[in-house]
Amino acid sequence: MPSPPLTARHERQHRFEAVYAAHHAPILGYLLRRTDNPDDAADVLAETFLTAWRRLDDVPAGPDARLWLYGVARRVLANYHRGQRRRLALADRLRADLAVSYRPPEYTGELAQIAGAYRRLPAGEREVLALSAWEGLGHGEIAVVLDCSRNAVRIRLHRARKRFAGELAAGQARSQSAEAGVHVANGDLA
Amino acid sequence: MNQLTRISPVSDAEAGRLVRPGTLAGLAERIIVEPPVQDAAWGVSVSGRLRSAKRRRWVLAVPLAAALAVAGLVLTSVGQRVGPVSVGPPAAQALSFSRHGGEITVLVRDPLADPAAYRAEFARHHLRISLKLLPVSPSLVGTVVYIGQSAGADITPITARGRCWTGGGGAACPVGVRIPAGFRGSAQLVFGRAARAGERYESTTSAFAVGEVMHGMRARGLTVSQVLALLRGRGVSVPVFNYLRPGGARSARHVPGRWFVYDATPWAPGEVMLFVGPARTQPPMGAPQPVSSAAPVPSPTPTG
Repeated sequence: MPSPPLTARHERQHRFEAVYAAHHAPILGYLLRRTDNPDDAADVLAETFLTAWRRLDDVPAGPDARLWLYGVARRVLANYHRGQRRRLALADRLRADLAVSYRPPEYTGELAQIAGAYRRLPAGEREVLALSAWEGLGHGEIAVVLDCSRNAVRIRLHRARKRFAGELAAGQARSQSAEAGVHVANGDLA
Repeated sequence: MNQLTRISPVSDAEAGRLVRPGTLAGLAERIIVEPPVQDAAWGVSVSGRLRSAKRRRWVLAVPLAAALAVAGLVLTSVGQRVGPVSVGPPAAQALSFSRHGGEITVLVRDPLADPAAYRAEFARHHLRISLKLLPVSPSLVGTVVYIGQSAGADITPITARGRCWTGGGGAACPVGVRIPAGFRGSAQLVFGRAARAGERYESTTSAFAVGEVMHGMRARGLTVSQVLALLRGRGVSVPVFNYLRPGGARSARHVPGRWFVYDATPWAPGEVMLFVGPARTQPPMGAPQPVSSAAPVPSPTPTG
């Protein structure tokens, strides 16, 4: 069997370069917003784009590629959260850079209450809220990432927002009773 | 939902700035040497099937914040001290604009020009494009390091294939941008400029690339002490070492001189960062180095 023509390989590399150049920052952002461990973010980023390279024919053209990549990153990260970590040599420099450049934020006061309420939500509800608030995706786009119907997204979002508001209110009430006499600024949270 | 946006740990643009473009380019480069077909034994966890491209087509465009991985530029191997004299036309023309059909092509003519000159030229063409210059290692001076743009904008990089020593996943060297005629959005472009003495590079390629301080040096597999001696001969110092240990990568100012050098990346003018470890060869994928058992804590400064 002759090896495939060089031009086909170049074309494939060129396509991958375009996907990588356009989407690595949003995918890294997606990952850093979902894990406190930058090493995990580095490895999952590498694994996500390795998957994109290996399954390049499945990656849709244009901006939709990002939704496909979110889907892959979400699944790989879920495995990491289940304890199935893979430290890839591929990602060594990325880990080194992030170890120096990134510290997950620590929230205090009102923001800590918001973060606490968010963390108490079930994982599925956290994800649908985050895709909307942090990635700025619409219902149709979230449906692609989560592989479900648009209507299902609408229902899940509604439920998640309701529960989030409830957790927030409960958290504030707890905090106010625990710190009786201490003023808790809750301005626009009501 | 407003509350949630307030606790977003990092924006996409910030995330893009956390990693040096040389690192990103290196990752892409290492990915594309992997076999393209999926290996069943590799076991990536893509369990569910994603929807077909046809079903996805109705999805509206998501905001695009494209970032470019940077490539080394062989033609700039003259280094950063050459100055504008031999690198291009007079500073009066920092950029060149030309119109082809429905597109404006912008190429960097003078990578050492004052940013104000670039901005003035974009303004003269009625383009809302801001421009920033970041310090980069010598071989990257004059290349495009980042393109950020508003939703729906469609600025694309112009790459010079074959002019790169290494790059964003191949031989694609970003040397300019292509802007649709009638562009109404806004965009931010970042080009690489020469670094001042002591200024840390924001973007790098391999320290062994043409035009970089370790070009032609055989350092991989040598001990830290041996490499430090070679570097001293070139007047290059090492302010930071990087090594893996269970749980992640760590940086240190000093490591044992008997450790081995795996790779190097430019750090600042006359400085490099070395990737090192206690084993002669870099451990295979997925196997952290046994730093904890072999060498508890990196401490003594290596001695030639």
